[in-house]
Amino acid sequence: MTFPLYPHGLFGTYAGLLVGTLVGVAFGFVLERAGFGRARNLAAQFYLTDLRVLKVMFSAIVTACVGMAFLAGIGVLDLALITVPETFLWPQLVGGLLLGAGFIVSGYCPGTGVVAVASGNLDAVAAIGGIMAGSLAFGFGYGPLESFYKSGAMGVVRIDRLLGVPISVVAAAVVAMAVGAFLGGEKLEAIFAPRQGELVPASPARVKVRVFSGFAVVAALALVALALPARHAVLAAKPEQRISAVALAKDLVASPQSWWVVDLRPEAVAEKGRLPGAIVVGPEEKGAAAAANLAATRKLVIYSQSDLAAPPEGVKRFAGEIYVLKGGYDAWKAEVLTAPRAEENPTAAQSADFKVRLALYARYTGAASTTGPARSEPRPAAPAAEPKKGGGC
Amino acid sequence: MPERPFWNPYVAGVVLGLVLLGSFLVMGFGLGSSGAVTRFAAFGAHLVAPKTVETNAYFSQYYGPGKHVLEDWLVFEVLGVFLGGVLGAYSAGRLKLGIEKGQRATTAQRLFLAVVGGVLMGFAARLARGCTSGQALTGGAALSLGSWVFMMAVFTGGYLVAPLVRREWR
Repeated sequence: MTFPLYPHGLFGTYAGLLVGTLVGVAFGFVLERAGFGRARNLAAQFYLTDLRVLKVMFSAIVTACVGMAFLAGIGVLDLALITVPETFLWPQLVGGLLLGAGFIVSGYCPGTGVVAVASGNLDAVAAIGGIMAGSLAFGFGYGPLESFYKSGAMGVVRIDRLLGVPISVVAAAVVAMAVGAFLGGEKLEAIFAPRQGELVPASPARVKVRVFSGFAVVAALALVALALPARHAVLAAKPEQRISAVALAKDLVASPQSWWVVDLRPEAVAEKGRLPGAIVVGPEEKGAAAAANLAATRKLVIYSQSDLAAPPEGVKRFAGEIYVLKGGYDAWKAEVLTAPRAEENPTAAQSADFKVRLALYARYTGAASTTGPARSEPRPAAPAAEPKKGGGC
Repeated sequence: MPERPFWNPYVAGVVLGLVLLGSFLVMGFGLGSSGAVTRFAAFGAHLVAPKTVETNAYFSQYYGPGKHVLEDWLVFEVLGVFLGGVLGAYSAGRLKLGIEKGQRATTAQRLFLAVVGGVLMGFAARLARGCTSGQALTGGAALSLGSWVFMMAVFTGGYLVAPLVRREWR
């Protein structure tokens, strides 16, 4: 699970903005080359004389969709970290109808309008000015619109999850649908373009065969990847290991940098006392998902108040070794934070054990405080077991 | 310089899809545009009436301590779109001032309709939380239910209104 890169914190906000600019340059360049800087090329879609908009848009959707399905299938892309626009059914339906109307009236949509301005089309300057005015109108009229704006809220709804099938199955269906739409669209062009006295747009058969079979091959590979064991399923099968409080205490002294210590108790409880360096992520699956997103360069140890019979499911997505603290925080308190008592007639082993426990007791109750707000590790970002919510445009 | 032809639409679509896929792989999210245009609009309105914009129930999300309305991924992405558009048009010999319209429409009609359509789109894109880029293209590829509903609605709205403005394009 390497991709997407940004949520792993490999680069910061400003590098992200630079990436955004570069992505935009590529986006704008391709839109220009697709012919979308010209309103007549876009308007032709709605008079069925040239279905360029449909062809470009659906080819792009198919490419990105089967690409993601395939990469997720072979385990290099974590779909849970991909932002999916939330569904608000009614405003999206009405907004779509209005935007479609505005599209044919103005001749551009917002993105193509920017490209048309860049190409020197003054009508696009007027369109973008209109879009700005329309956005301001929405903002200043937001009060009475708010309840409709928030209606039909369904959260993040991905079609594959809704249908309960793997994403590669839906991706393959999208490929079939798109190719059907392309072939049907070309038939419509052949009927309507001559009626307007225009040439029927033609694509060389060689290009179509290559593009369509490319889609089919990637979609098929994504389906084949279903046969691969999913990476998290492999991890789930891996049994977690258990570590005693004393053993963990010793190791945390010896090499604190080799552990992620994660506290799965509610924040209010964890504030009162926790293991040194522990990250408080919140209880149950929410916290577990956050823990799973930590870098696998360290071992992960999780604990709750008492013994955890099994770690929460979400934690198993952590790519590295997972340990459960035997006996939980209670055991830590009893075995590390409580002064050890010497046996009456200790054997050599008991005596050695006593010395270690005494040293640990001094170390953890004296030098290193287990209370207070200081944390050695930052709190990880929001958990991501569910697809991330996004605002869209 | 003679004008270069446009790319084959299927090829252009595949390349556009690869750009979108690249954005997903690097950033974890896709493309957009109307959000940035709205931010520029808010920025402009803020120059005139700062208090009104900052306290507005919708635009207040763009303001706050440590926030700048234009310091946003989408804004930089759309600046890139503009640069990419200039680069594409220039290198293809298409960089020139003009107005796109049908032969029968007058310039005044065309500019008026461009503004009217723009206002509709600006309003609609905020209502739908995105436009053809952020919802239809990006949300479509991410298989969001609402984005597919939006996409079908865009085509429906376009086909319903197209006969009324036929004169604009002929």
